[in-house]
Amino acid sequence: MTEDFDVEGELGFEPAVPAVPDLPPRPARTKRRGLRRRLGAAAVLLVGLASMGGAYAAFAGTSGASGTTSGSDNIAAGKQLYETSCITCHGANLQGVTDRGPSLLGVGGAAVYFQVSTGRMPLAGQGPDSERKTAKFDETQIDQIAAYVQSMGGGPSIPQGTLRDQDIAAGGELFRLNCASCHGTTGRGAPLSAGKLIPSLNNASDKQIYSAMQTGPEDMPIFSDNQLTPQEKREIVAYVQTLKASKDPGGNGIARIGPVSEAVVIWVGGIGVLMIAILWIGAKTQ
Amino acid sequence: MSERSEETPTLDELREMTPEEQMIAGAATDGVYVVHRRDRFPIPGTNAEKRAERAVALCFVIAALAGVGFVVAFVAIPYQWHLPGTPQNFRFYTPALGGLLAIMLIFMGVGLVLWAKLLMPEEEVVQDRHEHAASSEEDILMTEATLSVGLADTGLPRRSLILRSLGLAGGAIATVPLVALVGGMLKKPGKQLFHTLYAPDAATFPDTNGMVPLVYSDWRRVSPDDLLPGSIATVFPGVRALGPDGKDGVHSASSPTLLIRLRPGQVVKPRKGQADFGWPAENPEFLAFSKICTHAGCPASLYEQQTTRLLCPCHQSQFEVLDDAKPVFGPATRSLPKLPLGVDIGSDGRQYFHARSDYKEAIGPAFWERP
Repeated sequence: MTEDFDVEGELGFEPAVPAVPDLPPRPARTKRRGLRRRLGAAAVLLVGLASMGGAYAAFAGTSGASGTTSGSDNIAAGKQLYETSCITCHGANLQGVTDRGPSLLGVGGAAVYFQVSTGRMPLAGQGPDSERKTAKFDETQIDQIAAYVQSMGGGPSIPQGTLRDQDIAAGGELFRLNCASCHGTTGRGAPLSAGKLIPSLNNASDKQIYSAMQTGPEDMPIFSDNQLTPQEKREIVAYVQTLKASKDPGGNGIARIGPVSEAVVIWVGGIGVLMIAILWIGAKTQ
Repeated sequence: MSERSEETPTLDELREMTPEEQMIAGAATDGVYVVHRRDRFPIPGTNAEKRAERAVALCFVIAALAGVGFVVAFVAIPYQWHLPGTPQNFRFYTPALGGLLAIMLIFMGVGLVLWAKLLMPEEEVVQDRHEHAASSEEDILMTEATLSVGLADTGLPRRSLILRSLGLAGGAIATVPLVALVGGMLKKPGKQLFHTLYAPDAATFPDTNGMVPLVYSDWRRVSPDDLLPGSIATVFPGVRALGPDGKDGVHSASSPTLLIRLRPGQVVKPRKGQADFGWPAENPEFLAFSKICTHAGCPASLYEQQTTRLLCPCHQSQFEVLDDAKPVFGPATRSLPKLPLGVDIGSDGRQYFHARSDYKEAIGPAFWERP
C-alpha cells in the first residue's frame, strides 16, 4: 500500500502516468512545414468560398422580378411584380394564406409603400416581427405594386405632396401623447412583448412615417384621419424629422438612448481610467 | 500614553546633527522609522534632473494654458459652432469646455504626481504598531469592577418587573416625538384615491344625464368614427372643474384612459358583471381601460393591435385585452379597471362617447385601504 504513495517524495503522491523522458525538440523544418501546410489549406478554402459566393452574386443578380412595363399600365406591371414576389404568402387574389401572410384587401397603396420601401416585405423569414432591411424594389416598382394592391381592394393611397408642417411644438405634443410611449421620447424605439421590437425612427423618411401612421403596420395601431387629422400627421412628421436632425448640444449623443449608454461610458470608460490612475499614483518608482 | 523611547537623543546630540538626521530622530520618537532614504539626484544639475524638472513644469504650463483656454472658449465660442467635417456633426461648445477643464485638472494632478515620483527623495518608512495600545491590567480590572457593581446596584438584573416597565416607558418616550414629527408630514388622501373625475355629475352635464363625456387632450369629444379597427386613443374625462387634486379632467393623474377599437374577429371575454361595459354592449368593439398600471402606476399604453397585448414599459407587465386586461406577464396582479362606455348623439348628429359611471374599483396600484 505504501508503495503506491510517495509521501516523502517531492510530489506527495504517485503520478498516474510515469513521467516520460523529454523528447528531442522537433526539427525546425517539419514545424514550419506543418504550419505552412495548414495555412495553405485555409487560404485555398477561403479563396474557394469567396469565388463561389462572388460568382453567384455577380451572375444571379436580383430575383427574377424585373421592372418591365408590359404595356403602359402601372397596375399590370404591379400585378406581374406581385405574382413573382408576393403571391406565395398573400395569395393569388390578395386574400392571404393561413399562417403565412394576411389579406391585403383594403390595406391600400400606403401600406404597400411602407412595407416595401422599408424592406420589411418581402419577408426574410417568419419571426416575432419583420425588420427593416434594404428595399428590394425601387420607387417605380413600389408605385406599381401599390397601384395594383390599391386597385384590388382600395384603402389609403400613397401620401403625396409635402408631408411636413411648421408647427413643430404641436407635433411634439402629439408625438409625446400618441407615439412616445412606444417609440421613445427620442424616437429610438423600445422592446415589446415576446421578442418583438418597436423600431427606431432614425432611418424613416417623411413618407414612411406618414404611411405608417395611416396604415398601422404589424402591431402598431392605426391612426385614422379622423383621429389624427392630416394636418396633425404632418405636424408629427415635422417634429420627428426635426428631432432627428437636431444636434446634440452636449457632444456625442451615444445613440440617444439615455442612461444605458451613458452608464457604459461612465462605468467602463471613466472608472477604468480612474482605476488606472490610482494604480499609477501608488506604484513604486525605480 | 506618550513615552520616550531609548532612541530619543539629548538636546546636545540634536544640535550636532544635520537637519535630515534631526528629522529622522524626530520621526523615531513617534515610532516611525525611516528605513531607506535616498536623494534621486545627489549631484545637482545633471541632464536627467533637468529633464525631470522640465517634464513637471510642462505639465503645469499645459494646465495653465488649458485654464486660459477655458475662459477664452467660454467667452468667445458661439454655442452653435460645430466642426463642418466631423462625421457625427455634433456641437463643440460643451465638449470644448469640458475637454479644457479636464486637461487643466488632469495635468495639474499629473504634474504633482510626477514631481513626487521623479524629483523628490526616495523614502521608505515603517511605522510601529502601538506597543501599549491596550490599557494596563490594573486599569482593566478596576474599570470592569466599577461597571459591574454599578449595574448590580441598580438591581435591574434581578428586578424584572422594573426592567419590563422601564422598557414600556422607554418605548413610549421614543415613539411620541417620532409620531409628532412624522405624523405632521402625512396627509391621508381619504376618499380621493377611490374616485376619478369620471364620476357622474348631473349639475355639470345635464345633456347626458350627468354622465361625463370622453374628450381628447384638446377637449374635443371622442366619436366612435374617429377610430379605425386596430386603433387606440388616449381619452380623458371632459370635466373643466378642478378636482380634489387641483387639476381638471385632462390634467388629473387618475384620468388617462386607453380607448381601444378591436379588429374584426377579436372577441373580448368580459369579467363577471362587466359584460356591457364595452360598446356596443352586445358585441363590444370599443373598450376603455384605465391607463394607470396596477403595479406601480406607469401609463401602460404600448398596445399591440394584432396580439391584443397591452404592455407597460416600466416593469414590463402585460395585460391581455381580450381577457379584459388581465395581467399575463410581469409584476402586475390585478386587471386594469374598465370604464363603462355609453354613446349619445351630439348636437351635430354624430355619436359621441361618455362614461356611464366611474370605474368600479380604485385605479392604479394597491394601497393600504384598498379592498
